[in-house]
Amino acid sequence: MSGPQDEYVEAAVQRLLAEHPNLGEQGLVVVRHERDLILRGEVESRQRRDEIERLVAEHFPGVRVRCDIGVVRSQPPSEAEELS
Amino acid sequence: MIRIAAVGDVHMGRDVVGRFRPALERLPEHADVLLLAGDLTRHGTEDEARCVAEEFGDLAVPVVAVLGNHDYHSDQVPEVTRVLEDAGITVLEASSTVLTCGGVRLGVAGAKGFGGGFAGRCASAFGEPEMKAFIRTTAEVADKLGAQLRGLDCDVLVALTHYAPVPDTLAGEPLEIYPFLGSYLLGQAIDSAPTDLAVHGHAHAGCERGTTPCGVRVRNVAHPVIKQAYSVFQLAGEERRAA
Repeated sequence: MSGPQDEYVEAAVQRLLAEHPNLGEQGLVVVRHERDLILRGEVESRQRRDEIERLVAEHFPGVRVRCDIGVVRSQPPSEAEELS
Repeated sequence: MIRIAAVGDVHMGRDVVGRFRPALERLPEHADVLLLAGDLTRHGTEDEARCVAEEFGDLAVPVVAVLGNHDYHSDQVPEVTRVLEDAGITVLEASSTVLTCGGVRLGVAGAKGFGGGFAGRCASAFGEPEMKAFIRTTAEVADKLGAQLRGLDCDVLVALTHYAPVPDTLAGEPLEIYPFLGSYLLGQAIDSAPTDLAVHGHAHAGCERGTTPCGVRVRNVAHPVIKQAYSVFQLAGEERRAA
């Protein structure tokens, strides 16, 4: 990720994440770093993370992608916030 | 005292069913009511709404929701709303409800809201029809939200939206997308009433806490922000109002 077209690739990946019918992810961050494109953020399941990785690789075969996406935790809260 | 649980942006699909349920089964230990701050589904389909109903329906506490932009994506809002309502979830859109929890009357006025940006950096109803329609949409929903808030007779008053009413809770998001994340018009509506708490979602990279210009506490409860099944807020009821 170091050529003049990289900004367009970044934009295209961001739109793929939001607009692909299997995805619909608007809350992820796409970062260009040296020769890599890093995907960051959190999704609701491991299947979604795997599907993102697969589809980005499929649509951008020449781009080296590092997937740093986590799955949001869903444990009950340990305490309440007092607002009175 | 009333305990209000809230979460937004749960983006349910078949692959997520069951992830929240263990925490939700313990909800009555923690809270008297659950608020859902929109983006309940991933693409706004009726099938995904059934997943929401399965996960968040049939709880031991009342559940009140607004929809988010994802829930509008497949143009199935009436179907999504019906599925949620059939599961006992109250869905608000420029409307309100009053629940009595432990002798405290909780009023919730809710609306999805919309974008436009914040004071000094906001769009105006000027120019192309598309731009005027964008801002007028926000202005209309904010007017209705304000009217609902001002019209409620209750002990604790909560505003529930998907879009953000203040920029405080967007910190962490790129500044360039703030106009797509919320509008000061929603904050102005919230400040037009004696609101005790404003809850929203939508901004996954934002932060939890903020206040409106008039001092109403604002909480971003987007699931990726709170990183737990729901947050719980405790507010005084009658005692505080009477003081």
